[in-house]
Amino acid sequence: MATVSLKSINKLFDTTQVLYDVSLDIEDKEFVVFVGPSGCGKTTLLRIIAGLEEATSGEIEIDGIEVSKAHPIERGISMVFQSYALYPHLNVYENIAFPLRVAKLHKTEIEKMVQRAAETLKLTDRLQYKPGQLSGGQRQRVAIGRSIVRNPKVFLFDEPLSNLDAALRGEMRVELSKLHKNLDTTMIYVTHDQVEAMTMADRIVVISEGKLEQFGTPMELYHRPESKFVAGFIGHPKMNFLSVPRLSINSSGVTVDLPEIGEQLLPVDAIDMIDGQKIEVGIRPEDLMLSATETGLPMKVEVLERLGGSTLVYGSVHDNQNFCALLPGDTNVREEEIIKLAVNPANVHVFDSKGTAMKRREVPIV
Amino acid sequence: MERFTFVQKFFLYLGIAVFLTFILLPFFEMFMTSLRPLEHLFRSPYQFWSDDMSFQAYFDIWDTVPLLGRYIFNSVFLASVTTFLCMMFVIPAAYSFARFKFKGKTISLSLFLGVNMFAGAVLLIPLYKLLRSMGLLNTYAAMFVPGAAFLVPTGIWLLKAYLEKIPIELEESAWIDGASRMYILRRVVLPLAVPGLIVVGVASFIGAYAQQFLFAITFNQKREYMPLPAGIFEFVGYQSVIWNQLMAASIVGIIPVLIIFLFLQKYLVEGLTKGAVKG
Repeated sequence: MATVSLKSINKLFDTTQVLYDVSLDIEDKEFVVFVGPSGCGKTTLLRIIAGLEEATSGEIEIDGIEVSKAHPIERGISMVFQSYALYPHLNVYENIAFPLRVAKLHKTEIEKMVQRAAETLKLTDRLQYKPGQLSGGQRQRVAIGRSIVRNPKVFLFDEPLSNLDAALRGEMRVELSKLHKNLDTTMIYVTHDQVEAMTMADRIVVISEGKLEQFGTPMELYHRPESKFVAGFIGHPKMNFLSVPRLSINSSGVTVDLPEIGEQLLPVDAIDMIDGQKIEVGIRPEDLMLSATETGLPMKVEVLERLGGSTLVYGSVHDNQNFCALLPGDTNVREEEIIKLAVNPANVHVFDSKGTAMKRREVPIV
Repeated sequence: MERFTFVQKFFLYLGIAVFLTFILLPFFEMFMTSLRPLEHLFRSPYQFWSDDMSFQAYFDIWDTVPLLGRYIFNSVFLASVTTFLCMMFVIPAAYSFARFKFKGKTISLSLFLGVNMFAGAVLLIPLYKLLRSMGLLNTYAAMFVPGAAFLVPTGIWLLKAYLEKIPIELEESAWIDGASRMYILRRVVLPLAVPGLIVVGVASFIGAYAQQFLFAITFNQKREYMPLPAGIFEFVGYQSVIWNQLMAASIVGIIPVLIIFLFLQKYLVEGLTKGAVKG
């Protein structure tokens, strides 16, 4: 029902700039997640879309209509806050009915709409309760109920799950994804948790220090991060980085000197790379395996985390660089041991000295 | 584990006892005096207790000063109107100070605090001229208008502190749902601020009750409009002072305030300390 497009949004608080020239186009019925470390400006961006904050420069269009100065209600958005923002003096029914009362709808109509929202969110038997008598998950659902009841064009969520415990968070992730399917509207969701971003989003916007780092589907970001920041942010456990000398560059890739492994051709588009003898390679823990031969990246095992199905091995390589490998659950390794790790060259990410990623040649189709 | 040792406890209670004695002894003496016949008061040697004590003074006061009922009514009426008027100004002002950014906010807030530094007495003469030119002398308004004006600054500061503790997301959420500022104030902010409003209301009422004497004797000469503290002067005659009845009338006059206090003290203590320790 609604597209959202941002055009060169800049935002300054007094003299500190928190958003730099952010432009993006969100498609109709898309579930887009803004993700980034805390303080990166993602919430500010959401508040600008909501109309709670005014951009210093730039334009916002919803459904092709310029709304930069419009009231939230004219934008057709609704928002769920991190703290839920339920009215403690009103019961669940009145909380959900609040936007409808503001809109001065008729009593019977309000009744019908609240009942429908309550059914969608399984709150029917809680309507007479005050927010203080509800559990965290139920409060969360009331907050969502209040936002769906007036059928907005765009839903905004500001870290809605961060106050819940881990188990409930997992449950609510699934429920929110279902809700998105049911309502079939555009949703914009802010979180600092990349797991939430990966699991729920159609497309993810990665923001760092007020700048848009990358905008793409979860698997695009995972397989083709455009920068070291995105590569390090997306994926759990985090990608390992290693600074290595560059030997040569040609049309088939870049040849580097990996510690103990030696010369290795990495199949990336590196021909445009200009400066720096040192480059950085990034290897995801899940792409590492125990080397079948004598050669391999030597890692001193410091901590083992056996998760059953898999084993996380933390240790250090090379110049005391922290490293992590995700190995099969029954891997026979011990702490303090030195293990040799191997990696498929096609799975190695390569970054220049500015942190820009070189395009990998062989990537699963996503 | 005990938090205090016996010795510490002893001195704590001793301190409280001394303090309470200071505060409550005048009230006790007031009550005792009201029970004694007038001649008993000047008896020598001083008698703390005697058989001729009675509540007679409480019946006599209404005859000695026929307008006493009216004075008590005036007092409560003036304090109520003052409080109401004060709240009408305090609520929107405190809300604006708590939530909006505007030019001169800090300066005007400090000015309000500065006004509190002046005792009402300093401004009596200018106020007199002002009220005279407005034609308000010898009316109820002469007493509640300046009364409210002096109470507004404290009210603003008290309520502002309370309103600032209401999470801003609640208002933002209502704003997004299309509610106007006034709607938000009425339906979201004020219901949540009830304990704060009670604190400010009670503080204003007590303030109004206490300050009306000064305004009454300066700006009003009509007996029918006099509040109790001024009216009580009628017990002071040219020849003698009817002490026992004066005290009885004072106690009767205090009772309305006392009742309000007893009912609202829970909120008052809660409101004044709320947010002080809660994380």
